[in-house]
Amino acid sequence: MCALSEGVLSHLSLLEVQARSRKSRLQQQSRVMELKAKVEALKTQREQLKAQIQTHQVWGLMVAECDFRSLLACCNPLFFPALFYLLISSGGYDIIKTRKGKGACVSIATAYEDVFLDTFNLEIDLKPTVKINRHNIPPFIPLNNLAEQNNMQTDLRVFLDTLSQHLNAFAGRKQQLKLVKEKHKSVEVMESNVLCSLLVLLFTVPREKTAVLCTLDYTDHTRCLPTRVHLESEDKQLPDSPQWEKNCSLLMETPVHKALITMKKMGSIV
Amino acid sequence: MGSMDNTAKRLLQRLVRRIPSQMLKTTLDKWSRLTAAQRQSMDYTESKWALTEKLLAICEENELTVKHIAELEMIHVIENPNLGMWYVFQLMDPQDDAHSVELTQFKEQFKSHLSELIRHVSIKIKKHTDEAVWIRIAWGDTFSRPNHLKPTYVVHYLQTPYVFLTSPTSKQKPLLSQALVLSTRYQAIKDANLSGRKLTAIRDLLMKQYLQVFPTKFPSPLAERNCVVSNLHIEKEQAGSAANRHQMACEAFGDGILPQLQSAVYKLETKFRDHTNKTMTERDEPFKCVVKFASTNLLESLRHSASSGVASTPVTPLLSSVPLKGKNYFVITDNGPGPSSQMKPSQK
Amino acid sequence: MCGSAYKNRPQPNYCSCVVPVWVNERPVREILTCQSPRTTRTHPRTARRRPPWSFSVARTPTDSIMAQRRSKNKSYRQSYRSCLGAASRLSHTPGWTARRLNTSRRTKSHNITEKVNPEDLALLVKTEWQLSYVTPLYQFRHTQLRSYSRQLSAFITAEKQQGLAVEVEGAQTSFRVSFSAVQGLGETDDDAETVLLQIHSKPVFAGKDEAQKLVWSGWLTCINGNPEYLHLLPKDFTCLPLFGSRGAENLTSLVKSWFQQTFDCCFGPLEINQTCLQWLAALWTNCHIESSIQHLKMIWTLPVEPPLQITYTVNSQDVWELWNSVRNPSLESREEEEAARSIDIEEVTRFMQGLKSHFYRHFRLDLSAGRLSQVSSALGSAKFSGRIKMSNSRYVLTTLTLLTECALLKMPI
Repeated sequence: MCALSEGVLSHLSLLEVQARSRKSRLQQQSRVMELKAKVEALKTQREQLKAQIQTHQVWGLMVAECDFRSLLACCNPLFFPALFYLLISSGGYDIIKTRKGKGACVSIATAYEDVFLDTFNLEIDLKPTVKINRHNIPPFIPLNNLAEQNNMQTDLRVFLDTLSQHLNAFAGRKQQLKLVKEKHKSVEVMESNVLCSLLVLLFTVPREKTAVLCTLDYTDHTRCLPTRVHLESEDKQLPDSPQWEKNCSLLMETPVHKALITMKKMGSIV
Repeated sequence: MGSMDNTAKRLLQRLVRRIPSQMLKTTLDKWSRLTAAQRQSMDYTESKWALTEKLLAICEENELTVKHIAELEMIHVIENPNLGMWYVFQLMDPQDDAHSVELTQFKEQFKSHLSELIRHVSIKIKKHTDEAVWIRIAWGDTFSRPNHLKPTYVVHYLQTPYVFLTSPTSKQKPLLSQALVLSTRYQAIKDANLSGRKLTAIRDLLMKQYLQVFPTKFPSPLAERNCVVSNLHIEKEQAGSAANRHQMACEAFGDGILPQLQSAVYKLETKFRDHTNKTMTERDEPFKCVVKFASTNLLESLRHSASSGVASTPVTPLLSSVPLKGKNYFVITDNGPGPSSQMKPSQK
Repeated sequence: MCGSAYKNRPQPNYCSCVVPVWVNERPVREILTCQSPRTTRTHPRTARRRPPWSFSVARTPTDSIMAQRRSKNKSYRQSYRSCLGAASRLSHTPGWTARRLNTSRRTKSHNITEKVNPEDLALLVKTEWQLSYVTPLYQFRHTQLRSYSRQLSAFITAEKQQGLAVEVEGAQTSFRVSFSAVQGLGETDDDAETVLLQIHSKPVFAGKDEAQKLVWSGWLTCINGNPEYLHLLPKDFTCLPLFGSRGAENLTSLVKSWFQQTFDCCFGPLEINQTCLQWLAALWTNCHIESSIQHLKMIWTLPVEPPLQITYTVNSQDVWELWNSVRNPSLESREEEEAARSIDIEEVTRFMQGLKSHFYRHFRLDLSAGRLSQVSSALGSAKFSGRIKMSNSRYVLTTLTLLTECALLKMPI
């Protein structure tokens, strides 16, 4: 009502504000378009990498140092969570140079089923020879043996990749054990060890309440799946039954916590 | 004359004396050698003497022997591993099958090897929930029965090279070493030069179960403790170097709560070098001395020394070797740290 | 002792000594200028005989003070006491506490086994004593020791029966106190004779024929006390500034109470400070040739969280060679002079510096950031908390000289 009394000046300033917001909106819109295009590009790249992983069964992501980091740099976890996750969850490792190039610090991340687990670190001397200085890798991972066998002196990357394999596999097995204990209370863990390379479980067959002792040997320490499954039971016929032979191969091919779910569904165990 | 002989009685008396009354109930429950009725009849508000008498009567009733009391002691020690003194030994040169040794195999092998070496010995092996294998050994000899009042406890985690021992005597060590080496499929065992009162502390140190600090690309300021700022100008000036010292101290010793070691001993046999003292510097013989650092938490004291400037940074390798090498006994000569004692099992 | 050694001993640094004296609650500064002792080399014995007031003194109000000092009456004693009280309340007490330990020390060892009663000597060595300082004792007479024994005995028994010092275990009755003078322990005539106290007792339920056991022992001594200070003391005061005790704490406090009541004195804890501990380290190391020290052990405490204790033990031969290497060049030609030659504080400082620098070279940790809390060797041990043990009789006098100096420094006046 009092527009005129408030003055032409106030009306002019109102118009000015409107014009400005229109400009910024335009800017925002173009920026959004830019980012959308980038999303598409990175999505394609992600699909490519996913495919690579599946076909090569690679535990450590063999991306060149700079590619890995630059990918990570332009990959904002808020906008591109999937890609970021992929890069991290495939268990890659990161290297930084220390002491003006005379040393390096390697950070190996471990992950299993999209869950980020422990990170292990190594401080390495690069000059005069390649030598491990300090680390927080537990003693049951044969670090020195791996260094020797993989010629750490000449090919650091191969050594690190192997180490990463071992660590990721260990983390995976440890996680499986944790999930078995949490989610399958009806199954008793009879024996395990710090390296999680041996697991002895006690199953109970429904109805008859027969006990079945299942030994899972993980002799290949670079893998999360057992190399041998052995069944023992009071009922001597049971391990040879078709149902249990099937369970046996299931345990060889599927992570144990998932295998148990299936076995329960099938009614093999309580 | 019941089943409980003098040794059994003494062992029981000692145990009841040692175990605090409030813990006695849980320990006895874990032991599960008493019936429900017997457990109900125990009144834990009574004096220790009365409790001992009560328990003795119950043990006689159940015809328990010294071996059962030894079990009870073992339960108590496993629950309270931080009393007494522990010494670490390290297994060397694993054979090919060392990594696949599993519990039953180890138990059988250890018992059989040790029994072969000593005529009279009582061995009890128990696996704890944290994967530790506990062994209780009561030693006898050709003529006498095992002495349950002076047992040795051994703790080992399969697939690791470390063995933790309480009070090993010089006579028992070689026998124990032999049995351990053979049953774990290694070739030798040596003194790891690490000892301490708290088993959990030395274990955490060796298993790397504490927060270590490594150089990162994006160093974040380490969590600061509450410090009263006395003078803003001083704080500002010193902030940079203080942060630097703190970082180096944490990189050397770790962050947060550190495993509780009580002491570190250095036997120095190096030459005296001081440019202000010509006579001593020209001397050929080493300046022999022994330095012992002691504290309720040695690693935290050392870390604080470094971060506060009492110890110059970068931290000398002599001090940072304690967590790095997992040792707290060093012999330092001019040629570098001396060789640690290696003990090959005796050829029998 | 060797006369020349005594004559050639370093003279104390004379300077103007300011001694505050309170008269009728008003402070009067009395400046005592000592007659130029640097020029006159009078024999100590003659110097000693001169009474304190023969020194030139600012006149007013001297006479009244001197007159008061001569009187034995209660008002004087009260004012003297109030001096002590007031002075100790001062945060910076001038006078004796402004002085520091002697910067130079004789090192001759003394074989006192011939001179001192072997039983007394046996008691003195091989036991750890807790040290205190004592202010001068008023009207203490060495001739009345037996009377003192009876008095103290009665005092303790009375206190115990009153239930003031109640013990649950080892309740004892019938205390037998014995005061004795230890002859032969001392070098100069200035020093009052050392007094030894022993308390024997029988446990309550002991049999009739069971002998009384020694339950507490102590001593008061002054070895090579500063003559300047000793001469300043009025006639009726006996200076035995160093008190050592061993035994139950309650008995110690009873003994101290009795002394305080009877001789109008004050006790206080005597800490063995850093300088003193370093002196002992050097003095003991110096003795290695004569009597093996076996090792030199030093304990340092660093003020970190949690506190860090560092025990630094050096091999005896190596530490002796280090000590030898920091000595000032010797001017003595004869061997015996060489053995008895004085030690200067600079040598001690260089010695400690050498030890610290060897430590720093390895651990990059400066021991000066911490505090030396204990020094020990085969010849004895000394702790910052005031505990001393003298294990070898040859060095008792040297050690007690040092400790007497420490005690005198703590005198409120």
